[in-house]
Amino acid sequence: MNRLSQLPTLRINPAEKISFSCNGKIYQGIGGDTIATALYANGVRIFSRSMKYHRPRGLYSLDGESSNTFMHIDGIPNVCAEKTALKEGLAVKAQNIKGSPENDLLSFMDKLHWAMPAGFYYRSMHKPAIIWPFAMKQVRKMAGLGKISPSFIMHGKYDEIYPQTDVCIIGGGPAGMSAALAAAKHGLRVILIEARPWLGGGYDYRASEYDSGMPLHQRARDLAKKTEETPNIRVFTSAAMVGAYNNNLITAFQVGSENDHYNERYIEVRAKSVVVATGCIERPLLFENNERPGVMQIGCAHRLARTYGLLPGTKAVFSIGHDLGIETAIDIHDLGLKILCVADIREDGQNPKLVAALKERSIPFLRGWLAIKAHGRKILKKVTLSTNQGTHHREYNCDILVASAGMTPITGPLIMAKAELTYDNHTGFFLPTKLPAKMHAAGRLLGLNHPLTIDASGRHAGLLAAADCAADVQGELKQAHEILDQLPGPERGARFVIPPVKNQKCFICFDEDTTIKNIDQALQMGFDVPELIKRFTAAGTGPGQWGIPGHNLPLYVAQCHGDVDVSPKPTMLRSPLVPTFIATYAGANHDMYKRTPVHDSQKKAGGIMQRIGIWRRARYFSEDFSCRDEILNVRKNVGMFDASTLGKFRIWGPDALKALQRVYVGDMSRIPPGKVKYSAMCNDDGCLADDGVVVKRGEDDYYFTTSTSRAENTVEWFRYHTRYDGWDFHMVNLTDAFGVINLAGPNARKVLEKTADTDLSNEAFPFVGYREFTLSETIPVRAMRLGFVGELSYELHVPSSYMRVLWDLLNKSGEEWGIRNFGMEAQNVLRMEKGHIIIGSESEQRTTLHDVGLGFLWYRKKPEAKTVGSFALKDTEQQKGRLKLVGFKMDDSSRTPEDGSIIVDSEIRGFVCTARHSFTLGESIGLALVESHLAKEGTQLEIFEASAGDKRLNATVVPTPFYDPEGNRLRM
Amino acid sequence: MILKGIGYGCEGKIVETNQRHSPVSFLSTPDQTEMRNGWKVVLKYKDEGTGPFLIDLSHRKRLDVQDSNLSKFQPGGVTIPEVPGQCAFQNGLLINRMNRTQAAVWHLLGDSPDMTQETAYTEVTEGSIFLALLGSESEVFSIMEKVTSQDLRQTANEPPFLIQGPIFHVPCQIVVFDEKEKGSAILFTCSRGYGISMAPELLEAGAEYGLRPAGEKAFSAWIKSLIDYSPQRRGDR
Repeated sequence: MNRLSQLPTLRINPAEKISFSCNGKIYQGIGGDTIATALYANGVRIFSRSMKYHRPRGLYSLDGESSNTFMHIDGIPNVCAEKTALKEGLAVKAQNIKGSPENDLLSFMDKLHWAMPAGFYYRSMHKPAIIWPFAMKQVRKMAGLGKISPSFIMHGKYDEIYPQTDVCIIGGGPAGMSAALAAAKHGLRVILIEARPWLGGGYDYRASEYDSGMPLHQRARDLAKKTEETPNIRVFTSAAMVGAYNNNLITAFQVGSENDHYNERYIEVRAKSVVVATGCIERPLLFENNERPGVMQIGCAHRLARTYGLLPGTKAVFSIGHDLGIETAIDIHDLGLKILCVADIREDGQNPKLVAALKERSIPFLRGWLAIKAHGRKILKKVTLSTNQGTHHREYNCDILVASAGMTPITGPLIMAKAELTYDNHTGFFLPTKLPAKMHAAGRLLGLNHPLTIDASGRHAGLLAAADCAADVQGELKQAHEILDQLPGPERGARFVIPPVKNQKCFICFDEDTTIKNIDQALQMGFDVPELIKRFTAAGTGPGQWGIPGHNLPLYVAQCHGDVDVSPKPTMLRSPLVPTFIATYAGANHDMYKRTPVHDSQKKAGGIMQRIGIWRRARYFSEDFSCRDEILNVRKNVGMFDASTLGKFRIWGPDALKALQRVYVGDMSRIPPGKVKYSAMCNDDGCLADDGVVVKRGEDDYYFTTSTSRAENTVEWFRYHTRYDGWDFHMVNLTDAFGVINLAGPNARKVLEKTADTDLSNEAFPFVGYREFTLSETIPVRAMRLGFVGELSYELHVPSSYMRVLWDLLNKSGEEWGIRNFGMEAQNVLRMEKGHIIIGSESEQRTTLHDVGLGFLWYRKKPEAKTVGSFALKDTEQQKGRLKLVGFKMDDSSRTPEDGSIIVDSEIRGFVCTARHSFTLGESIGLALVESHLAKEGTQLEIFEASAGDKRLNATVVPTPFYDPEGNRLRM
Repeated sequence: MILKGIGYGCEGKIVETNQRHSPVSFLSTPDQTEMRNGWKVVLKYKDEGTGPFLIDLSHRKRLDVQDSNLSKFQPGGVTIPEVPGQCAFQNGLLINRMNRTQAAVWHLLGDSPDMTQETAYTEVTEGSIFLALLGSESEVFSIMEKVTSQDLRQTANEPPFLIQGPIFHVPCQIVVFDEKEKGSAILFTCSRGYGISMAPELLEAGAEYGLRPAGEKAFSAWIKSLIDYSPQRRGDR
């Protein structure tokens, strides 16, 4: 097809040839083409088939308002060919077909429409229930949803940005640009989001007069240049707005060009004020076969010619309801398309100049007429026109029917932002009657049509937005308001007309193949509001959402009610307003996690690292996941464990002790010098929140540890529970400042003695002792003698930057005593053998201090401190029916139940917290929370495990600790 | 026998036991390095380019100062700003007012004076990474808007100012220097454990703007070129 050239509105570059394939054939497009325009230029009229009836579908809006041109592009289904820029080598395929787009073997579905009435999916194939899974698969197989290969890999770069701005303007048409310039003039930061690849909106391709002889497209370019050259206006083109949320959070996605570093990027704009200047789309005209390829909207036909240099056909009929249709008919006629007739739904109200222009060109003009049927099996061949009342008919042989019932505002952003919209009889629009705070509307979406009014409305909205940002604009705003008042206001819109024939295939929603008849069926079944009908018939739930049915559905429903009190109500819209790839939402996927200072050292030593919460930690140090050797080495020699993830804090100040007394259950006033104190924190319900040790390092100066998972919340926990006291204390989170090595095993002292410059004998540094010294005369260490794993052990807290050196040093020093690393799994078994709990493993949300046998930690004689949870601890101490922590041994020592297995008799009586085979004891042991009547020593427990089927595992309650009950090994 | 000053690493090599390791490492090859207080500080990398730069300053001393009456403290002779979010930069010290009772002291040019003897101060150098993103205004803020939703270009505060918010969803202290002609910088700290994730992710986010690792020299030269800031002097500017 030859392209029009020399038009000032063209956005193509004929010199740039681009080859691509479609359905196996090679085609050539040109620079600036979309896939759809390139295919159209190559004579392709059927792009894909519809979802339900497999009806042929072609170009309709050119703005992606429906799924008509969704195609399979480079392996990705459901890509909108109208909006995807043509690139060299693209492989395009029609979707929802079996065969070819012209000869689809599934096109017989169109004949079966009687079998698929409204809501058939909900009503049929459900009885008996066994049919449904099979039927559902068949329905989905037949439906056109696009297919993606399971092995498909999404290539490309998907990015994200989070710009902040003073004013965000949605829509880069004349009103949007005017608003942007008005706000930017006051030094404000402005972001302008435009879905098309260029600014200009409805002016971009129109040749009619703006003012004083200047065509609209020239005005668009002038405004665009000025906007783009204004430094504090940031323009995002090819950026579709997808969501509007509270506090002016606007989301969008932008399609990158070949020069960009991204294929698509997600944009999240935080703005102080928002101007919605999204303009209008066309309201589809309802008639038989209104989606037949060859039927298109005014803007589609006009932009094909003016933007892409393509005359849409050879002979066209126009059936329109707005002056824009007449303007387009005249313009396209002048560009060379034969116009057989212009039918206008309106009986009056047309611009006389436009009517005269039609007459000058001898184009027949029919007032009060509209299209009632498009003929042609696959593509348009003929059209039948009728008077609005159906009294007279005419037929025209043509290949293009430009059909549009009028304009409808793009109110998606307003609806999402919870603006109140009311139907306006004058314009026939849903107009905003109440906007959210700091949100303004401008331009054609308010029903304005005069170019000067549109510009003035944009300027006015821009100044309102500037005022929201505290700019001094009152004088200017008053003036802008006065100018706006003097200009022509909203124009009368075309009334809603139903074609005067009985329609079977008059589509109100193209995406879901929903017809007017389907809406009637829903109404007959009692669905009386558009929101319900939308769900029952699926009208408007496709990817185009509001685009095609959004206006017609509520108008039709209101008209069917025949009650003047039933005013049309728009249906809800949800994000994304414009569909895009999930990859775009996923963005760059930054995987942020923490590593301990000896992460690399452990990995080098064979550590198998796993993500645990925000950390990556070494779980095992061999492929033997029972960790037998790691465990036994700690029991017999010495092991080294990285405990750097423990929470570590400094708390100090005159009231630090009061704060400690408040959150810890123990008496923190009695921390002996040079000793650590183990204690726990409970919540207000007396349930275990955390445990750790506290050291007094100076007057009103303490250092304490928490469990890994609580580290992030500890400062807030202290502050929250002391918020009304006005106490003077301060806290610093030192979790990352200190690394921790737990050196444990009977040879631990010998290893440490090689590097420590202090006396480490049991007398000088006994169990639960705390010392500060240096290692190798360089590395400052805070050392605690603790025994979490049940052996002589030292918890060495050292500045993180020294950790790697210390780790290597201890490894070397311990070589002669068989030192080796042990990971989290080994530690888990070692501490369980000792009967030590891990909060979260041996407790759940309802577990109190008493339940896990730590009631002795609670110091009752400090009522003045109002210890958090103390009232609940008192109440629950003797409470019946609580789960209690017990130790158990499996009757079959070779069989260990899984963690979380339930303990049962005729009912569930508890669950296994942790259970492992103990290589130290040669038995399978575990800790479980059970109902109190099962907690007595010697009680037989039955454990249900899914993998054991009907057979239950037997265990016996035994005292804990399982290992070294006297604690001799800790004190050696 | 106590191993003093030196020891043997697990691979049998002698290691300097006073050697400290930064939580941040770049793949670039160092061109000039210097040992400083146990830290191996990279002064310059090979092929640093012309910017923007990402610079590891984790070895620079950082202190936390807390008291119910912060006005009685003058770290290094600098008055702590009164309003949370304000910063003061004088004598090579950057002081960020965090809240009613807390401020952060970052040594940007040297590690003295040492104030840790006073109870109100806690040295937190080891607890965080400290990175500087240095470049032209557009480079710096274009990179940052890819990684944080914080409004770093806010006009309400005069730079340098402090924002406490996330970068890549990681809680950070972010200080904005926006010097227009002399270039802009974002200085930020976050938990040390994130160091190994943060630096490569930032470099990747900034790749399209040519962001590359640079040594400390690039930062020192830039910071020395700035005039001192302080709340008292702001009125003079």
